[in-house]
Amino acid sequence: MSIYVCMVCGFDYDEAAGEPGSGIAPGTKWEDVPEDWVCPICGADKSMFTRQGGEEQKPAAPAPEPKKEAKAINTNYKLQAVMASNLACGSKKQYREELSGFMSQVADFFEARSTPQGDLDDVLDLLAQDSATGYAQAFEVARKEKDRGSQRALTWGEKVSAIQATLIKRFNKDGDAALSGNDIFVCDACGFIFVGQEAPEICPVCKVPRFKFNKISKEASA
Amino acid sequence: MKAVRNIRLCTKDCMCLYVCPTGATDTENGQIDASKCLDACRACVDACPEHAISKVPFNYPPQQAKKDNVLKALRVLLDSKLKQEQALDNIIKTSASPAQKQLAKALKMSTRLMAEDLLRESGYMLPQGAPAREFLQGLLDKEQEEGFPKEAVEQGLKLL
Ligand code: SF4
Ligand code: SF4
Repeated sequence: MSIYVCMVCGFDYDEAAGEPGSGIAPGTKWEDVPEDWVCPICGADKSMFTRQGGEEQKPAAPAPEPKKEAKAINTNYKLQAVMASNLACGSKKQYREELSGFMSQVADFFEARSTPQGDLDDVLDLLAQDSATGYAQAFEVARKEKDRGSQRALTWGEKVSAIQATLIKRFNKDGDAALSGNDIFVCDACGFIFVGQEAPEICPVCKVPRFKFNKISKEASA
Repeated sequence: MKAVRNIRLCTKDCMCLYVCPTGATDTENGQIDASKCLDACRACVDACPEHAISKVPFNYPPQQAKKDNVLKALRVLLDSKLKQEQALDNIIKTSASPAQKQLAKALKMSTRLMAEDLLRESGYMLPQGAPAREFLQGLLDKEQEEGFPKEAVEQGLKLL
């Protein structure tokens, strides 16, 4: 019997014990756990698990064929919006409310000019690209340069991106039922997303407590 | 150093108001008036029963310089996150399904947080740092469209 470990939150799936909480009987082999089963702690799908003591970390996913031809997209306005919103957050952290307000005004100006463009498949293609090459390459240089801060950001980002992709795939497959009237919670520190009745007690990715989660409720249907 | 108050912990009714020699703690907006706070004093920090006050530096040391190859690799990821956000904006704007909109909103918030984190690691940790200043000055130096909040940028630069 083997143990499989969730790369996002560290949850152990022990074949001997199964996971009765999500309907997996003790003694269930990993191969026999249904493909749509997700980690009971963080919601990561089976592809995010590796066998404990397995020879390699994560099977290098082959760069996936993008579903669509990549379009040229002007991200200039969006870039400036994010630059400014980041400065607004940074000012707040230093209790500089006035400065934060000015930066928010700048962010709003550019945000309003950014062109909405694309759909969920585009997001999925980009996430697949991030996962196959973007994070791997950035990790490599950040490690080489011993850039601790960047490695931390990449560790969180890679995990959160994986969760994002899982959620989109689930939504594409099950439609509205994927959320089944639940609220969605977003960790304010790392961006981890959780679907459920209540946010997790601590964020499985960055470990901040529950009160740091933002709740996104279902919109009233038009 | 200046005193700051964690509003989440503060019960808004007690000791710091009495002990402050300058009245800096007594404000309507919940925060401590930094312009009145004395650099070497920490009377309110010690008096607060809720541990709601701490002293933070007026000025922070500059962020560690980043290597060019790291910046380049982070930039690739950042570009991808920007495109993802624009796709999510489109879903939020046009989708007829409330559930899909809800999901897109959560994804957008999450994507924005990751994009900001990548920026912080790219040298934009502190608003008062040189890269942030250059960004703001650059906005002023360029011709901008109608409605550009020029004054906010100028005031911001002054406050930095
Ligand atoms: S540190 Fe001293 S001067 Fe500053 S707010 Fe607290 S009591 Fe007042
Ligand atoms: S002493 Fe502490 S808890 Fe009391 S009002 Fe001041 S900051 Fe708030």
